Amino acid sequence: MLIKAVVVDRAAVKYAGFLLAFYAALFSPLRADPRYPDWPCAQPKVPELSPAAMWNGPAIADVGNSWQDDAKIRDLVELIAARRTSLEAAQKAVAEFMVGTPAEKEQKAKQVFAGLFDTLSDQRREVMDGLERVSRKEVDLAEKIKSDVANLRKLQDKPDADQSEIKNLASEIEWSTRIFEDRRKTIRYVCEVPTTIEQRVFALARSVQQILH
Amino acid sequence: MRLRFVLGIGLAMLFANSAEAFTAYVSNEKSNTVSKIDTDSWKVTKTIRVGQRPRGIAYTKDQKYVMVACGDDDTIQLIDTHTDAVAGSLPSGPDPEFFAAGPDGKLLYVANENDNTVTIIDIPRRALIGAVQVGVEPEGMVMSPDGKILINTSETTNMAHFIDPVKREVVASVLVDQRPRFAAFTPDGTELWVSAEVGGTVSVIDPVKHVVEHRIEFAIPGMRSDAIQPVGVNITREGKLAFVALGPANHVAVIDIKTHKVLKYLLVGQRVWHMEFTPDQKYLLTTNGLSNDVSVIDVASLKVVNTVQVGELPWGVTISDH
Repeated sequence: MLIKAVVVDRAAVKYAGFLLAFYAALFSPLRADPRYPDWPCAQPKVPELSPAAMWNGPAIADVGNSWQDDAKIRDLVELIAARRTSLEAAQKAVAEFMVGTPAEKEQKAKQVFAGLFDTLSDQRREVMDGLERVSRKEVDLAEKIKSDVANLRKLQDKPDADQSEIKNLASEIEWSTRIFEDRRKTIRYVCEVPTTIEQRVFALARSVQQILH
Repeated sequence: MRLRFVLGIGLAMLFANSAEAFTAYVSNEKSNTVSKIDTDSWKVTKTIRVGQRPRGIAYTKDQKYVMVACGDDDTIQLIDTHTDAVAGSLPSGPDPEFFAAGPDGKLLYVANENDNTVTIIDIPRRALIGAVQVGVEPEGMVMSPDGKILINTSETTNMAHFIDPVKREVVASVLVDQRPRFAAFTPDGTELWVSAEVGGTVSVIDPVKHVVEHRIEFAIPGMRSDAIQPVGVNITREGKLAFVALGPANHVAVIDIKTHKVLKYLLVGQRVWHMEFTPDQKYLLTTNGLSNDVSVIDVASLKVVNTVQVGELPWGVTISDH
């Protein structure tokens, strides 16, 4: 039993060491943008989307939040902004809505784009804030693992150490390491989301403009 | 009989007129493929699986092959343009990203991004014949119109290096703005244009005096300046207009060469990097990495007239001579 516990401790320590090295590499100065120290993604952080990068249709400055006053526009925006709606279905919904005289179409185009841009920009901001929050938690957890590992080594060097204390600390390290690793995988996956959102705004903005022209 | 003959000629001419179709090959960095596009129908006619991380792409001078730099495989693959299959490779050195051929089409100069080197390859012999040490993270490569000077830009050193291709050594270096990505000469060879991705500018260099004579800046109303990241630069054959791809700004700037003033910004696809003219200069194709498509700009009307969906993360484009 004692032998097994020691083997587990060593494995846990080794694994934790590997993860910490990996995490140090993830936050190496070469990768990090000094403006955003908590940004955990390989993709560069672009804090805000800009309508000008997606839209050369009629100016939307006068639209403001007025798109929210029209229930039809509100519903359409909700439908096409949702990730569960496929891009094709969203494009079809836009095409079905964008009918009428040229003036009506232009008005609808402005409202739909403004609504879509606001909604998906907010969504993107939330995702990015979440990423930074989790990234800060990872840094704290990494610190905790590091100090636990140091304590464990100290305990193991003591000839009269309490074996149950060693076992508890080793299992604590193992558990923290598992959480750390799970979060790391989630972060990598979620790092793709801001880009996916940006792609969706662009693709739908393009559909609206194509109908307009 | 005669009528049939005349009709036949008429048909042949009709065919000839509508047959100004070229073939474009686009490297898709993430999907490890090359998309073949017919410039008449604007359709992808074939998707060719290549090595890992294909970026720089160009026809060989004899048009028999399309060369693709596969960075993660440390090689340049050769696609046979008759069979559209990978039919060989060139020894490119580690992590090839971009390359330029010499005027006779025999020698190829390759930027090895992770090795601070420009590798020289003999294309017919498929042999590595030399190397030149340059700055950190070399990328942009272009040969002067007279074939006497080779330019390489290094992303981290922020320089355009002037290389004597005969002596195979750097003879001059010009400091430009941050992260130079691409270099292009005006057709008369009197100006060298170098884009700076992070600096957000294009430096116009006198290639004899080795000094920056103009610095072109960009401003798109309502756009954050840090979203404007110039990469590809393409100049029309008669030297009147330059097109600059502005990366995540999703626009291409059109510039008057004489005045160095921006005439227009064209909204294309997302994260536009590299571009190529059709040989008749009617169209300019742009690769849009994030929207996974190619935009087609009509050069005469300066309008985006088509969009072609390709693979993931399209990077470079090359177009056949005929």
